[in-house]
Amino acid sequence: MSASLAPECNDVKERYDNCFLKWYSESDPHEYLRGSATTDDCEKLFKQYEQCLTKVLKDKGIDKMLNEAREDNKDNDAEHMHPVSCFPIFLDHPDLS
Amino acid sequence: MVKFYASTDNYPYPFPAVTLAYFLRYPNPYSTHVVSTDTISRHYDPETQKLTTIRLHLKRSKLPSAVLRLVPRSILGASASGDTQSFILEKSIVDIKNGRMDTESQNLEWRGVLSVVERQSFIRPMSAAQEDAKIFQGMEGAARRHGFLSFGPDAKVEDTCESTDVHSSVTLHSHIGEKWKKKRNAEDSTDDDEQPQKMGFFKSWSTASLQRSIEMIGLKRARRSQPNAKEGMKVVLERMREGGLVAVLEGMRRDREAILGGHPHAFSNRRPPNDDDE
Repeated sequence: MSASLAPECNDVKERYDNCFLKWYSESDPHEYLRGSATTDDCEKLFKQYEQCLTKVLKDKGIDKMLNEAREDNKDNDAEHMHPVSCFPIFLDHPDLS
Repeated sequence: MVKFYASTDNYPYPFPAVTLAYFLRYPNPYSTHVVSTDTISRHYDPETQKLTTIRLHLKRSKLPSAVLRLVPRSILGASASGDTQSFILEKSIVDIKNGRMDTESQNLEWRGVLSVVERQSFIRPMSAAQEDAKIFQGMEGAARRHGFLSFGPDAKVEDTCESTDVHSSVTLHSHIGEKWKKKRNAEDSTDDDEQPQKMGFFKSWSTASLQRSIEMIGLKRARRSQPNAKEGMKVVLERMREGGLVAVLEGMRRDREAILGGHPHAFSNRRPPNDDDE
């Protein structure tokens, strides 16, 4: 697994990552990738991971950078993260030509 | 002035495998410069079945000497040899229902000097309607389609004829010399310090030509790093095909050890010097 920015969060990150991978890819019931998942089962572990990481992001001043980037991006997201039908790149999609 | 790079590609792997490989692409033998990856938020919407993930990567890079000639190291926080670290913010949305994943990565620091936004869309080539129609062609095909991906200890990605289209683009935009964040600076009376301003060392350049030069450097770098990013994904997908999730995790463990131990994998020698990957 990839390392955390904060070595002290590595353990809890690994527990969360493993949980997520299991949820995301599990063969049976294979829920998420089959499109039948009802919930992300790993929220509890994520909360622990987040708690560890938030402190580090704050201490290093990264949280401020993140907030600025998110502010800047609000408009971009509306423009670029939109559904299939109006995505210009699809103009050269074989199904539509 | 904005520079733009775009490419279209195809991975010979099913869409779900590609989305998983995207989440698991670091570390890989082509990404020895990626120091860490953290998930900072993740949201699953059961109604739309969309999974939104925001991650923060820390990457080591070497600033191109051309940049160091334009902007002094002290301003960029780089070492004497041009070594520096940068945070990359990555947002991804997996839309499993419609068979597409959209991703967007951007640098967090020095966005005034050069903002680099990389976007990728991974798309399952067949429409849902076509797939439904195909089911009538026989249950065998349907079973293969739905059972192609499983990750138990012995599971492997089975060979099917499925593939995933990839559209990539990189947008580079330099605001150097501009007062591009007026609003924020107005709130902050001590503004000008962090503002990437036109200062003595490049006064002789016109703002536009300086921006163009910096964007060109970024563009060259993006062009050079794209193949490495793709090779990295391929390594992860190949491991998945060979030995499922177990093989991917084992490979990651080895790559991470190699990075920590300062013995980068043989693959990394193929990286061009001064390269920076996506």
